[in-house]
Amino acid sequence: MNRLRRFFHTPEAIAGASILALLIVMALVAPLLFSGDPQAIAGPALLPPFQDWSLPLGTDRLGRDVLAELFHGARTSLAVGLAAAAAALFIGALVGTLAGFAGGLIDEMLMRVTDAFQTVPSFLLALAFVSIVGPSLGAVVAAIALGAWTGPARVARAEVLSIRERDYVAGARVIGMHPLEIAFREVLPNALPPVLALSSVIVAAAILTEAALSFLGLGDPNRVTWGGMIAEGRAVLRSAPFLSVVPGIALVLTVLGVYLAGEGVVESTAVRRSLS
Amino acid sequence: MTVLAASSLTKRYRRGDKPFAAVDNVSFEIGPAETLALAGPSGSGKSTIARLVLRLIEPDAGRVDFEGADFLALSGAALRARRARIQMVFQDPLAAFNPRATVARVLDDPLRIHGIATRAERPRRIAALLERVGLDAGLAARAIHEISGGQRQRVAIARAIATRPSLIVLDEAVSALDVSVRGQILELLLDLQRQERIAYLFISHDLGVIRAVAHRVVILDAGRITESGDARSVIANPQSAIGKALVAATPRLTRSRP
Repeated sequence: MNRLRRFFHTPEAIAGASILALLIVMALVAPLLFSGDPQAIAGPALLPPFQDWSLPLGTDRLGRDVLAELFHGARTSLAVGLAAAAAALFIGALVGTLAGFAGGLIDEMLMRVTDAFQTVPSFLLALAFVSIVGPSLGAVVAAIALGAWTGPARVARAEVLSIRERDYVAGARVIGMHPLEIAFREVLPNALPPVLALSSVIVAAAILTEAALSFLGLGDPNRVTWGGMIAEGRAVLRSAPFLSVVPGIALVLTVLGVYLAGEGVVESTAVRRSLS
Repeated sequence: MTVLAASSLTKRYRRGDKPFAAVDNVSFEIGPAETLALAGPSGSGKSTIARLVLRLIEPDAGRVDFEGADFLALSGAALRARRARIQMVFQDPLAAFNPRATVARVLDDPLRIHGIATRAERPRRIAALLERVGLDAGLAARAIHEISGGQRQRVAIARAIATRPSLIVLDEAVSALDVSVRGQILELLLDLQRQERIAYLFISHDLGVIRAVAHRVVILDAGRITESGDARSVIANPQSAIGKALVAATPRLTRSRP
């Protein structure tokens, strides 16, 4: 309760949490509010917004309901963003903990692999991966996670390197605990906070990467995505700019919301740390 | 029959470019239910010896025999199993525990790892351990950071005796405690030694405390043994310069002028 109150202390956190809450509601009610296929034709093509109140945000080139697409797009963006970030954090924490705790040759090997991934631009890596595996939601998630796990891995390793010298790790060895149990039960949970602080940046980047992949036509073709909508609207950018602007604004707000909420979480835990 | 015999222990580190010996050719023995104190100024190698004996770090040379077997030859599961018999209590009782742990979890770990009690039996064993060190069994549910420093050190002792060891290494175990709590903890340690016949390797820079609890004392300086013998006689009449300096540094209650 206290932590929640501290979280909602700053206006940034409130704004971020509100945007995120709105998005989550959008994603959840999308199939109820717009139960049909969002990619089905709903009315005349290129209807501007606020003309027909059954299609409040108008229609695109093929006559699809923009509002329905926006709601269903929120599902994709959030799902991909969260799944990719979760996968990246999981892999990063795992690799970082193993490298930091094992040291020696294992550390060298794992960190050189991390270097290798870090030197390849993550968007190119994602492009290449999706082009080979084929565009599906799972492939997009994997492609984004592939480029994003190195940051968490480095942070986790640095944390583990400092924690493994603490007395309680020595104490765990003295009572005969298995090294793997020490690494994942004693060390990792205490190394996680700074790693999790990266999550907002990673989620935001993942949502943008997903949008960029969809914009280039490498998203899952069976799903509505904001990036795909922007790409759709590009052809008629001069005559119907709203087709690109509306999903663009949604994208900006989402990234902003994730970032602000993440900042709020970091702030509130930072307060907790300095108090204890 | 000795519990622990260390012979010619040596550990070298590099300071800048030139190597130096943190522990240089140190040998000592501890018998059952005996307290051997290691005394010396900061940087004399006391804690390094503790860590060598516990195999938290590996010596560059020398031999450690524990309960009649070569302790340095063990590795992996055999070493972990053997660790039940040689335990440690750290100086800072807050740093010695996982900051997320509860008292129950801290005491549950050794019981679980060494298969001392079944899952169903463990809560009862934990309560018994807490009572053994003079704590209320209701403390088990508390988080480590919620209890006082003295209580924490009692929990640390409870954890150390959970596996029924024959030797406990006490690395400045009472140095961080305030004076009244220190006396109680020392009483507890002596009581445990009498009843369970546990040997202590007692590391301290405080000769007053050593005189109260130790049978024999080894005085170290710069990684070497400079003097050793019966605790009372060494402290009453130190022969080495460093021994004299340590005795002179011990605070005393002197009668104030009339």
